[in-house]
Amino acid sequence: MRRDVFQAIADPTRREIINLIAYKTMNLNAIAESFDVSRPAISKHIKILTECGLVVITQQGRERYCEANLKSLGEVSHWIEQYRVFWTSKLDALERFLNKDAAAPASRKHKSTKKAKRK
Amino acid sequence: MKSEPFVIERTYNAPVEKVWKAITDKNDMKQWYFDIASFKPEVGFEFQFEGNDGKRTFLHLCKVTEVIVNKKLTYSWRYDGFPGNSFVTFELFAEADKTRLRLTHAGLDTFPSDDPSFGKDSFAKGWTELIGSLLKGHVEQATVAK
Repeated sequence: MRRDVFQAIADPTRREIINLIAYKTMNLNAIAESFDVSRPAISKHIKILTECGLVVITQQGRERYCEANLKSLGEVSHWIEQYRVFWTSKLDALERFLNKDAAAPASRKHKSTKKAKRK
Repeated sequence: MKSEPFVIERTYNAPVEKVWKAITDKNDMKQWYFDIASFKPEVGFEFQFEGNDGKRTFLHLCKVTEVIVNKKLTYSWRYDGFPGNSFVTFELFAEADKTRLRLTHAGLDTFPSDDPSFGKDSFAKGWTELIGSLLKGHVEQATVAK
């Protein structure tokens, strides 16, 4: 079973839970009361969030408090960031390609444009 | 919702026909994109190309899923030997004599991020290598030639 941040945020209820506890630690009962879903269902979502590393549970007396661990969310943006860098570079290259073509319509190859390479 | 698809837009000082050619003609593609053995903008056409991170090669497997000439091109994008599948869409919008290009890459979250052999690090390294050396070389070459 996949247990990573992507799995964690794949479900709308889990995203809601993360939003709810992002800025304040809440106990499990309080979280469950915020949803129409049954308490066991909420417990299960929180268990998944815990396994995905997005939620940390601490026991205080009889209460179990849920705290969001948002550091791992950075994993998502990091992942997307790789593609952002990749596509940005590719589309830059496309722009240069299109401009180059416009500047020298007669010669389509770099080689024919005098000593382009220095390395 | 899964994670949002990645979207990037650019406006190019070129007519749509020319941009369309750049993204569908293998000789054009070779100059800014990847060196692909053959490419046809036809639904069902399959192609592949390699991205190398210095130690290992990621074979990209793609299949064209939608073609509207001068307007839209979509192909699937996955990695040989790894689970997950994504879709890359190029959309072109004519704006006077310019072309706005919107690139959407959907389904990135389907790629494994917990498989050590395909983890973020090795994957990121692959892209970094690609961008840092191969592409940089091409881009610089193109710039100097300008």
